[in-house]
Amino acid sequence: MSKFLKALSLGVSIAALPVVAGAAFAGDAAQGEKVFKKCRACHAVGEGAKHKVGPELNDVFGRTAGSIDGFKYSKAMIAAGNEGLVWDETTMATYLEKPKAMIKGTKMAFAGLKKDDDVANVIAYLATFSSAAAAKEEEQSSAAPAADAETQTASADQPAAPVSATRDGGVFGLGREALPEEIAAWDIDIRPDGAGLPVGSGTVADGEVLYTDNCAVCHGDFGEGVGRWPVLAGGHDTLADERPEKTIGSYWPYLSTVYDYVRRAMPYGNARSLSDDDVYALTAYLLYLNDIVDDEDFELSNENFTDIRLPNEENFFFDDRDEEPHYAQKGEPCMSDCKADAVKITQRARILDVTPGSVDDDQAAAGGGVD
Amino acid sequence: MSDKTVSQSPNLSRRSLLKAGLATGVAAGAVGTARAGGDPLITEIQDWNRYLGEGVQARPYGMPSEYEAHVVRRDVEWLTASTESSINFTPLHELDGIITPNGICFERHHGGIAEINPADHRLMINGLVDTPLVFTMEDLKRFPRENRVYFLECAANSGMEWRGSQLNGCQYTHGMVHCVVYTGVPLKLLLEEAGIKTNAKWVMPEGADASAMTRSIPMEKALDDCLVAFKMNGEALRPEQGYPLRMVVPGWEGNMWVKWLRRIEVGDEPWHQREETSKYTDLLENGKARRFTWVMDPKSVITNPSPQAPISHGKGPLVISGVAWSGNGRITRVDVSLDGGRNWKTARIDGPSLPKAMHRFYLDIDWDGSDLLLQSRAMDEHGYYQPTKNELRVSRGENSIYHNNGIQTWHVKADGTVENVEVS
Ligand code: HEC
Ligand code: HEC
Repeated sequence: MSKFLKALSLGVSIAALPVVAGAAFAGDAAQGEKVFKKCRACHAVGEGAKHKVGPELNDVFGRTAGSIDGFKYSKAMIAAGNEGLVWDETTMATYLEKPKAMIKGTKMAFAGLKKDDDVANVIAYLATFSSAAAAKEEEQSSAAPAADAETQTASADQPAAPVSATRDGGVFGLGREALPEEIAAWDIDIRPDGAGLPVGSGTVADGEVLYTDNCAVCHGDFGEGVGRWPVLAGGHDTLADERPEKTIGSYWPYLSTVYDYVRRAMPYGNARSLSDDDVYALTAYLLYLNDIVDDEDFELSNENFTDIRLPNEENFFFDDRDEEPHYAQKGEPCMSDCKADAVKITQRARILDVTPGSVDDDQAAAGGGVD
Repeated sequence: MSDKTVSQSPNLSRRSLLKAGLATGVAAGAVGTARAGGDPLITEIQDWNRYLGEGVQARPYGMPSEYEAHVVRRDVEWLTASTESSINFTPLHELDGIITPNGICFERHHGGIAEINPADHRLMINGLVDTPLVFTMEDLKRFPRENRVYFLECAANSGMEWRGSQLNGCQYTHGMVHCVVYTGVPLKLLLEEAGIKTNAKWVMPEGADASAMTRSIPMEKALDDCLVAFKMNGEALRPEQGYPLRMVVPGWEGNMWVKWLRRIEVGDEPWHQREETSKYTDLLENGKARRFTWVMDPKSVITNPSPQAPISHGKGPLVISGVAWSGNGRITRVDVSLDGGRNWKTARIDGPSLPKAMHRFYLDIDWDGSDLLLQSRAMDEHGYYQPTKNELRVSRGENSIYHNNGIQTWHVKADGTVENVEVS
């Protein structure tokens, strides 16, 4: 018996979700669409769905686990597929309840769905995008759920304009003048002095709702970070500790960076999907999670934005590596008898060997990070 | 990358090297000593000597020999939550000379690899300029261009080693660096085309990828030697290196070399973006942090022998080889120690010596088969030489992640195996 069948026969979910071959899926697809909000940060489904942090989920039923082209699965998921794991109502229910319990080493950084109903409903929702339901889909393809709209390439329906023309002015007369609406579309950066802030506002309470739907799967309900996803809150007074925790509240110098970054790059895998007011609300909520504001009714806007200062602003200073003794000395380094005693080995990589292939991933996580 | 190569530990790759040897018919031990009746590789006619090989066009884009399949970038899976914001490493121990082949230049992305049709790509220059401009790729190729060889090092290279030796292999300890020849347009020409206003002091490149990467760069640097590049090693940039367009910020930390470059804003103050506040600032022991630590200081590492490249031949002639680089200009000298830093010999730099480029050094020795504590120490034309790791720890503590250019020590054992160690 394969590892997965074994896992299934022990699984608690089976009783809750009897497999009726050929029967319609038990859950409610409309309810499932809401549950799918928890997955949306990482998975797309529907027409033109692309891979995000996780693989696209069209036609997932009947598909061998870890088998879709162009997505880099974990070794564990590929192995599960090789061992015969195919997605159906039962296997997916087990996976969605506790991904890591079913497939140790899966890189789906998602804790699991706690409610059996949620599991059944999201499965029913996904089933509407699988080929069994394809005929129905085609009839109403105009009503297909909005997936990522970025499927057509910009050039496809553009008039064949010359790719390079000259203009009056400049040194070479190359390029063309940028239009104000083009600059507005790309120039969304914010500076600490508030330059670039759009008109708008949002409250802590609004931010909490947005955060729970769009951010908490990765960053945790309190900004504590799920698994290895970044921590966004806490860590006060830890910067001089052996293991400092650098967060918005403990480390970041300017609030403008929070607004700027969330607007340009979050939620991860679905950047630029938030409105300006959403970003004010989320920024307000991140201040709240970091104890910088404590009132749920607090409203952040372009008007009061620069009044807020982050606690660690003063602790940054300009690069002065030049003054470190080893650089300041310059000149000739020692060439012989540079150390009084014979040199001893004080530490070996083998002691803490975290070289890939030599350890279990989770053990190694204590080793440190690249950024 | 095949699954097999991904899972190889350094030990396994050593074994697979031996296997590659076996596959060609060289029995272990047979090399070097004549066999009775002669070496069958010589006395017997080999297939490749008799039968015709593949013709031209069998490989319209040539790839390395199948016996080089282990020469690949590798990652450390547990480092990051997702591969789309992660890092992998250049196999330095498999390379020679100063140029890194395009396919094995390390990768660091913050939102995955953007796939952009060059016909759909635009570069905008806006902010404190007389005329904000939009360029197509074709426009950019009508400006005068330059070819320059530069290293690119991630500021977090060796960042894993602040608390002590951790990773066995220079690929992992030092592999967030590569060096290629770029072809591109001097940023200065593009800024002049738009006309910079007198109060313009900073520029900010921005990427078109899902992280829309941004960094503030002072105007003096922008006008000095920055390039907007579209070729690496003669061919188009690889998608993972920013195709179709990237910034080149010579000698400065890799994060500033914005890939998939779509916009350059000109301003009078820095923007304090996420990658110059939350990240790429160097936290010191007292809890204060350095910002704008742009220059990559002099650094070197011995690539052979090293943990992934043990000595396979026993005592006698041994080529000790490595690379050195500095963001301050040329490397003027590299010294090598066999005894953990007590005594030093000056190595031979071979090949081109170009400012802010990789340098290759060699020390040819007669190894007596005893243990070695190998170190290398680079000096640059600015007069800086590489500090020890302990000197850096005294000045900075162990939490600064970035800019670890301390001297690396490899312990070479009598059996030829090599380990990453720290010494007194
Ligand atoms: C934080 C990101 C994340 C979230 C949230 C997430 N997933 Fe995943 N999912 C992934 C990744 C990454 C994989 C690939 C796993 C692997 O390779 O081990 C995956 C794999 C899967 C697979 C297997 C697909 C295949 O091709 O084999 C299914 C099914 C799936 N996820 C469903 C869901 C559903 C349903 C939800 C919401 C209830 C969800 N996921 C939430 C990231 C996520
Ligand atoms: C699928 C997982 C995921 C989701 C969902 C997500 N993030 Fe992130 N977030 C990340 C990753 C990964 C990074 C780091 C990216 C990088 O390395 O460049 C990050 C970085 C951040 C940072 C910077 C952290 C630091 O210390 O530098 C902030 C702030 C942030 N996210 C806010 C948000 C907000 C607000 C949302 C919801 C609108 C959100 N994120 C949704 C994965 C996620």
